[in-house]
Amino acid sequence: MPPMNRRDALRLLGLSTLGVTALSACAPDATGGGAARSSGDAAAKTFGFTSWSLNEEAQKAAVQAIVDAYASAGKVTINTASFPYNEYLNQVTLKIRGGQLSGAVQLDVAWLAAMASLGKLRDLSPQATQGGYTEVALSSGQYGGKQLGLPWTTGSIGLIANTEILQKAGVSELPATTEEFEAALTKVAKLGDGIVPYAAATKAAQLKDILPWMKTFGSPLLDGDQITVGDDASVAAVEWYKQLYDAKLIAPDVDRFDARALFAQGKAAFYDDAIIARGVVAGQSPDKSLTEKMKPLPRPVLDAGGTPQALLWGHVIVVVEGEGAEAAADFAKFATSDTATVAGFFEKVKLPPTTTAGLADPKVAGDAFTAEWTEKITKTATPNPFWRYAGYGQIETAIAEQVQAVLVGQASAKDALAKAAETAKGLQK
Amino acid sequence: MTVTATRSRTTTLARPVRARRRPDVVRSRAAAWVAVGLIGLFGLAPIYWLVVTALTPDETAFSFPPSLIPTEVTLEHFVNLTKNEQLFGYLINSVIVSVITAVLSVIVSAYMANAFSKFLYRGRTSLMHLVLASQMFPQALLLITLYAVFSATGLLGSYAALVLSFTTFTLPLCVWMLKGIFDTVPSSLMEAAAIDGASRWRTLHQVALPLAAPGLVAAGLFAFVRAWNDFIFALTLADPERQTLPPGLVHTYLGEFQTAWPDLMAASFVVSLPVIAAFMFLQRYLVGGLTAGAVKG
Repeated sequence: MPPMNRRDALRLLGLSTLGVTALSACAPDATGGGAARSSGDAAAKTFGFTSWSLNEEAQKAAVQAIVDAYASAGKVTINTASFPYNEYLNQVTLKIRGGQLSGAVQLDVAWLAAMASLGKLRDLSPQATQGGYTEVALSSGQYGGKQLGLPWTTGSIGLIANTEILQKAGVSELPATTEEFEAALTKVAKLGDGIVPYAAATKAAQLKDILPWMKTFGSPLLDGDQITVGDDASVAAVEWYKQLYDAKLIAPDVDRFDARALFAQGKAAFYDDAIIARGVVAGQSPDKSLTEKMKPLPRPVLDAGGTPQALLWGHVIVVVEGEGAEAAADFAKFATSDTATVAGFFEKVKLPPTTTAGLADPKVAGDAFTAEWTEKITKTATPNPFWRYAGYGQIETAIAEQVQAVLVGQASAKDALAKAAETAKGLQK
Repeated sequence: MTVTATRSRTTTLARPVRARRRPDVVRSRAAAWVAVGLIGLFGLAPIYWLVVTALTPDETAFSFPPSLIPTEVTLEHFVNLTKNEQLFGYLINSVIVSVITAVLSVIVSAYMANAFSKFLYRGRTSLMHLVLASQMFPQALLLITLYAVFSATGLLGSYAALVLSFTTFTLPLCVWMLKGIFDTVPSSLMEAAAIDGASRWRTLHQVALPLAAPGLVAAGLFAFVRAWNDFIFALTLADPERQTLPPGLVHTYLGEFQTAWPDLMAASFVVSLPVIAAFMFLQRYLVGGLTAGAVKG
């Protein structure tokens, strides 16, 4: 073929230009949807609110009601946006870095350090001092000596028991020590019928649940910046876990979803979950009275009188600096501390409030399960110490993978945890 | 009579041969059927599980141990779909961006492939490899780069951002696929058209492209499916109201604590139907298009 001449080249160029022009026509205008674009509103009456709950069936109506109530009362415009929970952190990080997102943002308490590292979160100390939040709740929004998040809901991941199964097994009292816990599990195991005594996490994806057990056995996990995973206490915890595994008191290949399914079907006596578990399990269970049989219990301690360990869990609202940040901070305070609002929110979604007044509201205090959980489990719950590192997820994965290696008999607890600690050290940044 | 005799002779002759081969034939046929069965089971099991879960009531969907055959059946989850207007919006978005991506990919890659196949110029082979090399970049890297580019150009959140980003990963393979097809179009035909006075433009559009039609369909279908199934680009680059079905389904059914598996399965089944229909409708072109250019000469 002869080479292309100038006319042909121009034709191809023209065609390409036409294509690009056609595509550009599909571009949004300056006010296109999405979260919290700068609208040029100098009065800052427009801001964004980004929340995964805005798109979750169980919560979206309740969250939207809070947004609408504040918007109409304060005569502001709130642009809402939502991303799926599992993709949320990546999406929000990318959009904040790209300058595409500002205003109020819902966060899981575990993500606060990662967000703080972007350097764009507003210090909400002035709002926090006025909100009447509980100490444990406030701690969930603190990072680097600043109050970067206002606590929206504060709970914990703790143990839940099925009292009906325990009664059948002859366990009349909830176990308070690890020894009593083992005895109860052994009795439940004798029931047979495919019942897993303790639907503990044994899949690597969820084996971070071993961390509160390590603390129960006396490991601080992190001492200053020194990772203590691999110390005698954490090794003892993993060896104990392995012993439960070998005795079939916990089952292989279980993650949180499997554990919930087992518990919902009446096939597990104990499992770990957040306080919201009650509603989730009820939705999956053919037993309509299961919630009445559910009982929260503090994690058993090594010796009677010890402090039960639980992982703090919850949501905070942070404010990303930018246009409307002042109004967004006020909205965050309203959503998290206005007593009528938080009590109404609890009534709809059963997420416990974070203020003393909210917890004392009859709608909340009258709920026995929540009150018991808050008093017995959340009261002594502590944040995961690795959350202070942006790479906390990788640290947890490193530990989880090694614990799984122990469970399946590929390594000893001592060697595996030493390896985990070595890997984790490289991720402390 | 002659016919009968011939038949009879043929039958007589054939019998010993068949008899000699039967054990081998039976064995190989049995092995083939077993292989087909296993592959079919492997391929269809997820679809079976998807349909069964979609038809199972919420209360029994999580029964333990799980049951292969549902004890109760409900159409509730399919009915729920019809009530969800948001999902319909995601579907429309998917159709829009997938069709435009397919068309754009085919148009651009057809010209590029023709240029790679029929024009001789310095650096042609390097350029072709460069096009393919772009396929090797990790998607996350492409995503962040595209995000920055679209953000700077104001395209972020638009259909255009989705179409252009999808085209970045459909184009290289489409070009290579079509290059093989244009190689099979005899240059003599195009030269004959040129001798008859046709311009290069006319030769391309009236001679080469019609001959490459099966390949164009195959490339288009490939691009359509890639665009239809993409999750992460659609989630990141589009505004909520322009998002496509994969992020839409995740948005709608997957939550922090709960996954509405039966509803998700029902929706997944329904939204895969257009792709299945497209494959069935275009199957004859697809097979021709994929194999064209496989053997030269």
